[in-house]
Amino acid sequence: MTSSASRHSQIQEFIDELSGFAATAENTLSTIESDLEAHKGLFSVFAERMFAIRGTAQQLSLPHIAEIAGFGEEIAIKGSVAQTRPQLRKCVGSLWDALTTVKYLLVHYTEETSEEQKILINRMQVTLQALGGKRPTMSEDEIADILKARSSS
Amino acid sequence: MLREDISILVVDDVNSIRVHVKELLRVCGFRKIVTASSGEEAKALLETQPFQLILCDWHMEPTNGLELLRYVRNHPQFCGIAFILVTAENTRDRILDAVAAGVDDYVVKPLTQGQIQNKVYSVLLKRKVLT
Repeated sequence: MTSSASRHSQIQEFIDELSGFAATAENTLSTIESDLEAHKGLFSVFAERMFAIRGTAQQLSLPHIAEIAGFGEEIAIKGSVAQTRPQLRKCVGSLWDALTTVKYLLVHYTEETSEEQKILINRMQVTLQALGGKRPTMSEDEIADILKARSSS
Repeated sequence: MLREDISILVVDDVNSIRVHVKELLRVCGFRKIVTASSGEEAKALLETQPFQLILCDWHMEPTNGLELLRYVRNHPQFCGIAFILVTAENTRDRILDAVAAGVDDYVVKPLTQGQIQNKVYSVLLKRKVLT
């Protein structure tokens, strides 16, 4: 970004766009909650919306939003393969927390991470760990190594 | 080709990201930048004009970035276009899928000015597009 004014306007546009994503995520979560087993396939829709929010928040240097959306994405992916009703309930509970916080932060994006958000992040970390943890990821350097290895092979 | 003659297609379903990436490319000296908000729009644009580079997001509907990459690589006319995925997707399995599908480079968001400069120049030089 070239100035704080243009950054602000870009963030405003982002918030308008992502508020729509958050609304879709909220409807999806309500549907899942209405019948956990029957609608568990919809967790992937929720994960997609959280991914979209995470990616855009990362791009616009809003790491506190990206972090919570990232937890929402990972927990939703665990929800889509959860085997038991208590696991499904745990996922839905965590996802409501994540979604509510993301929606709040989209409006109050300049606020520092509060004590309440830190507790929420910790709770989501514990939930995610209990469900098997995050999917393995790769760093920029590891990706570069793989691309280099492919070029030289 | 000179960088101002190179045509770049930016594909992302989030408007604010399209605008941001376009601005980063303009600062790098690129002038011919076209944007598309979906894989379908990108496919249609590919039919209308030549591009030397596609910068594409992963998660889009109904055609995602990986599917667009496979479409480009399997198309006799477009298979030589440089393709960079720009995404927050950094899970190992997905990245390996993109590498297997023939992505030229892979950028994990946030995309910075320095990153775009390095990645775009390096891919275009490797493909012998940029002189």
